[in-house]
Amino acid sequence: MSQPNPPQSTSRRDFFARTSDGILGAALAQLLCTDYLGGVAAMAEEPAADHATGGFDLRPKPVHHPAKATSVIQLFMNGGPSQMDLFDPKPLLNQMDGQPYPGNVEEIGNTGTADIGVMLGGKYKFDRHGESGMWMADVLPHTAELADEICLINSMWTDHPNHDNALYKIHSGRLFMGYPTLGSWTVYGLGTENQNLPAYVVLSDPLGMPKNGTRNWTSGFLPPVYQGTPFRPTGSPILNLKPQYEEPDEVTQTARSMLKRLDQLHQSQRPHYQQLDARIQSYGLAARMQLSAGEALDLSSESAETLSMYGVGQSPTDSFARRCLLARRLVERGVRFVQIFLEEQPWDSHVDLADNHRAACQRTDQPVAALLQDLKRSGMLDSTLVIWGGEFGRTPTSQRSGDIYTGRDHNMQAFTSWMAGGGIKGGTSYGKTDEFGHKVVEDPVSVHDFHATILHLLGLHHQKLFYHRSGLEERLTGVHPPRVVEEILA
Amino acid sequence: MTCRLNPLAPAPRQPKSTSLAILLGIASAGVLLALPLDAADPPPLFEAEVQSIFGQKCGKCHSDKVRKGDLDLSTIAGIRRGGESGEDLVAKKIDDSYLWSLIAEGEMPPEDEPALDDHEREAIQRWILAGSHSSVADDQPAQAVDQHDVLPILLLRCNTCHGPRIRQGGVDLRTRQAMIKGGKNGPAMIPGDADASPMIRRIESHACPPSDSLLKFFVRRPPNSEVEVLRKWIDAGAPMSEVTADVQTAEPDRLVTDQDRKHWAFVPPVKSPHFGTIDDLIAAGLQAQGLSFAPEADRSTLIRRAYLDLIGMPPGRQDYRRWREHPDPNWYPQMIDELLASNHYGQRWGRYWLDLAGYADSEGGISADPIRSNAWKYRDYVIDAFNNDKPYDRFLIEQIAGDELIDHANAETITDEMVNNLIATGFLRMGIDETGSRTMNFVPERIKVISDAITIVSAGLMGLTMDCARCHSHKYDPIPHRDYYRLKAVFQGALDEHDWDSFKTRKLTVATKQHRDQVAEINGPLQAAVKRLQSQHKKLTSELQLELLHHHYPDQDERDNQATIQALKKADNNRTLKQKILVERLVTADLRADEQQPKHVIETRQELSDIERAIDQTQRQMAPSLSIRALWDLGRPSPTYIMRRGEHDKPGEPVGPGVPSVLTDGKTPFVVTPPFPAGTKKTGRRLAFARWLTRPDHPLTSRVMVNRIWHHHFGSGLVKDLENFGVKGARPTHPELLDSLAVEFVDRGWSIKEMHRLIMNSKTYRQSSQISEQAHRIDPQNRLYSRMNLRRLDAEAIRDSLLFVSGKLDGTPGGLPDTVSVDRDGLVSVNPTAGGGLRRSIYLQYRRTEIPTMMDTFDYPQMGPNCLSRNVSTVSPQALMLMNNARVRELAAAFAARVEGEVSAETGDPHDQWIECVYELALCRAPSDEERAIGIETLQELESAWKTEPHRALESYCHAILNSAPFMFVD
Repeated sequence: MSQPNPPQSTSRRDFFARTSDGILGAALAQLLCTDYLGGVAAMAEEPAADHATGGFDLRPKPVHHPAKATSVIQLFMNGGPSQMDLFDPKPLLNQMDGQPYPGNVEEIGNTGTADIGVMLGGKYKFDRHGESGMWMADVLPHTAELADEICLINSMWTDHPNHDNALYKIHSGRLFMGYPTLGSWTVYGLGTENQNLPAYVVLSDPLGMPKNGTRNWTSGFLPPVYQGTPFRPTGSPILNLKPQYEEPDEVTQTARSMLKRLDQLHQSQRPHYQQLDARIQSYGLAARMQLSAGEALDLSSESAETLSMYGVGQSPTDSFARRCLLARRLVERGVRFVQIFLEEQPWDSHVDLADNHRAACQRTDQPVAALLQDLKRSGMLDSTLVIWGGEFGRTPTSQRSGDIYTGRDHNMQAFTSWMAGGGIKGGTSYGKTDEFGHKVVEDPVSVHDFHATILHLLGLHHQKLFYHRSGLEERLTGVHPPRVVEEILA
Repeated sequence: MTCRLNPLAPAPRQPKSTSLAILLGIASAGVLLALPLDAADPPPLFEAEVQSIFGQKCGKCHSDKVRKGDLDLSTIAGIRRGGESGEDLVAKKIDDSYLWSLIAEGEMPPEDEPALDDHEREAIQRWILAGSHSSVADDQPAQAVDQHDVLPILLLRCNTCHGPRIRQGGVDLRTRQAMIKGGKNGPAMIPGDADASPMIRRIESHACPPSDSLLKFFVRRPPNSEVEVLRKWIDAGAPMSEVTADVQTAEPDRLVTDQDRKHWAFVPPVKSPHFGTIDDLIAAGLQAQGLSFAPEADRSTLIRRAYLDLIGMPPGRQDYRRWREHPDPNWYPQMIDELLASNHYGQRWGRYWLDLAGYADSEGGISADPIRSNAWKYRDYVIDAFNNDKPYDRFLIEQIAGDELIDHANAETITDEMVNNLIATGFLRMGIDETGSRTMNFVPERIKVISDAITIVSAGLMGLTMDCARCHSHKYDPIPHRDYYRLKAVFQGALDEHDWDSFKTRKLTVATKQHRDQVAEINGPLQAAVKRLQSQHKKLTSELQLELLHHHYPDQDERDNQATIQALKKADNNRTLKQKILVERLVTADLRADEQQPKHVIETRQELSDIERAIDQTQRQMAPSLSIRALWDLGRPSPTYIMRRGEHDKPGEPVGPGVPSVLTDGKTPFVVTPPFPAGTKKTGRRLAFARWLTRPDHPLTSRVMVNRIWHHHFGSGLVKDLENFGVKGARPTHPELLDSLAVEFVDRGWSIKEMHRLIMNSKTYRQSSQISEQAHRIDPQNRLYSRMNLRRLDAEAIRDSLLFVSGKLDGTPGGLPDTVSVDRDGLVSVNPTAGGGLRRSIYLQYRRTEIPTMMDTFDYPQMGPNCLSRNVSTVSPQALMLMNNARVRELAAAFAARVEGEVSAETGDPHDQWIECVYELALCRAPSDEERAIGIETLQELESAWKTEPHRALESYCHAILNSAPFMFVD
């Protein structure tokens, strides 16, 4: 018979399994790999672990290049905020208000053309802000004050005019269900620095799920350990975090201590099985997570000034303000990726755009600005990348709904997102759209480019971050190389 | 169709700058493209500037002698001819140049070959930018257009209204002849005169496709470049080329070499002369490294291992004792036989197959995630097939081509076999399908459904990563781009993106008389009862909403209350601000904690949930629907074209059905015969494919399956990557063993149960999982099988074992999946059955957006499109789930009650007996002295910790045991 594969040295997974949690553990693992396994290459570009045991973990992983940002807060504006009303003023569009669309209506770019109305001028007054003179509408007065921290990307575009698919695209880079999100790729690539809290936390609206629900934070084909953990601002923050039944504390303690003894006995009889070690640790982590999560969620240690700056306890900002403040607390505690959502799709203003967008701004503007301000004053903005935006933009034309024409339809051909902090050149307005804000005409930024840029800031190279599936190297940014938007980097 | 120098311009992937400025006569700061070349300079020539670069850096694979991808870069003629997929190599614009994109993106030259230096890249770039000139004149006729340039456009843009299903105006545009014949208003096409051809006039005036039908029929208007092609063809007299669809002929295949065919997995397996038993070959590997088998595991361990492996649950206490005390020296093979005969066997092993098929109870894709109401029939088919040990070849044939086995449409009576054959084809319908939605049924979405089916077949059944060849020839494996589309053509008779049924219409109603009678007899009144309950539910829901408003906002105007109810009927994004505010107030009221709700609200909620349960129970009493989620051949496949770069609007050469050339001798045609010459029209393509796939000498089918069986027994495959037997996949650790097992499998009638017997009766399998120091040093990854692997139970085995041990398992097999409830925290829990129990995990409803939390936490996979081996994660949410979840705690209490019941008859110290019983039931063994001592000590402590309720100590003890590593892992 032929020779089976020669026995291999201890796998990387074993090193990780032996090292303790946290930064020290990662540093040690890296040292060991550098020393004994022939350089960092032995860490492999595919960051996860040994397939023989199928183990994947969240221990910190080495970056591909020095990182500008170590964590991300994504303020997701579900529904598609209107670029020409908020960030990208279009005087010609305003002049043409009420006139028919001057081109072929099929160019509007949506699947149906039946409900296309007429040109709809911008709904709010624009002004220039900050030293850079960045345009912003008067419904975003607080954000406008931080213009010099922000980089507006006015030239975003995507591939689909439907929410479902555009949401898959903006979160996972694909138009279809089942692919890992940006947050999943990030924690798969980087792990996390606080094992007592989830690596990837989702703060969704207590009023309800966003459109597409849990698929906005799915790990797709990546192991479930990389999916987002929804963290509720009220009640039990994580599923099953607290016992859902009543028993005296002493009972819990006694039972747990027996469990630990039995597990250790079991392990001691089975030397060399690292997964048993990992399992015992996971029970320890679970217990610590119960404490850490409670502490992270407790806003009582925040000053009255901070609470009021965010708008906590004030209407209509309270709910979003709590999530923004919580995001800061989580990032402060080493959480890698935080996503904040709104219920359903408040920016999807097919009707009553002027009122609906104003209401959405009133809810979010002050908390968002406070978050930037707060991160800035604590010095954390330098290492925290804040992303604001939705899945697409809106059309320059109005849309018929019943017999009224007061809103805008979806526009995949142009929209605005912004970034701030973590390696971003503040005070930048990047990219140009046509006279109506309808299509990108200069410096287009695709969703893949957008993702590649975010990964770049995090110290990950989009090409080197992959996962083997069915013989394919799957990447967040797909097959065709994207472009890191160098022009917006500090 | 020989020249493809200037094909259809590709659809731009990026938005183009608007032309509106020009249209409106407004000066705009348009972007001028700065050409890097001075017009006065003579353009660089191929021969002078780049020929030698290609010769040096590309010549190894792309010369006139070696033509990888059918591409010769040594001469300008070769470049003009292009590669096998018909990609435009140089193009007019460099952005469209495939050659340049491969170079610019670093795809070529490949990693392990010398790279192009900057100077060379610039030279090539300059040459293409300047127009790819050569000193040799292009002797090809300028752009000969023929039917193969035109048909793909017509299929994509016109087929829906002028094809097999609809002939608007009597016009069929599928052939030249039919175009000339036209419809009731005369010809659609006049050869030689595009201007006069009605089809061109209609397309150019946008009369066709009609604006209001674009979304209705999921068609997009042809871009000008496509209209140009149509015009050119018509003006040229609508010429027809001789080129026919590319299929394997008796001529040797140019694209795949005999060397390629020598890869170990592409050669039919041969039984090793050294193969007597599995152990011979494993022992040889161990001995070569100075190792030997680990000692046999003790009897209790073997019992638990075999039970969990074959049926996914531990034995009951009596069964455990029976086997432990069994006097027969042959007790072990008897136990294996008994387990294989259990119905629980199919519920365990069928699940692995459902992973492979990507089973789900919903369509996925769109956010509504519609329920697949009849997918469960396929699930039951799979379980039955495993329980009946249906020969694997037959199992595959039914699943791939069940509709082509018997002509049910012409049968006098419908038999169970016919129905089962059709249910089996559900295998090819398990991927995500969003084509039933209002806006997501365009050709790209349909192609996604097709490519998922191809992935499941190729990776799941053949261990081939065909996906890579969808866009270009496979980078590593000898799978040309062409072979992917030949395989697509195999499915074209049933999955035809130009002749499509969405998931809403793709179902068959074929049923036996008995089944029809049963439906007619009992379903009517039950259906009426469901309707009544549903309307009651609706009414009560409105009442609940009003109750909430009245209670929490007593001052709110009644008109606003009514307006809230009205607003709820509108989609969230179509509400005015006022409506949004009203709805939000209602949601806020609804979300208040129970303590803040009036009694009436709590009662109404309970009533609503009772009605939901009643609806579910009533539906379960009905005879199953007659509808089958099947796949069937329509007998009229559209022609299949290669898609350049995998894009649906970049058609290449036409191809016919075929199988990957590397798995054949490359000179035997793939023969397809319609199965019912005198009956229903079917292509027979899938049947021919299935018969080829199940040939006894197929190099992959048996190897891939025995490797899968091995993997599920040992936790690792002889080939590590179950889905990749290709060149880049890991080689088998024991190639002779793999091959011998593959041959045995076929020789033993493709019997899966025989493979279990062969494997489980081996010494290799019966080893202890203890790692000796020597084995740890020499074989740390256990590639040599120097012991059994310790494994964590998978999600199903954990949940099913919990249920079984606690006595809460409802053993009812089959039928509608058990529904789930999602609470406000997003916790997805399974609803109990009518009897209050819970069924095995395979019978839960797997809606893609509502996977039960317990399953999700323990690595139940996302089916995208399927899952060939699951990940095993060890994370704290698992600990949180088992420690804190109320359901798990209830099961622990039920377990404790069961233990008390079993022990009460016995005498002596109850603590000791409890512990004994807990260990037997949960862990299938007696406790060690130390475990016993820990247990007794803990029980005493727990009794005092429980203070006034000392009898609950056993619950807490059981709860901890169900959390423990000995329960979660199998030795």
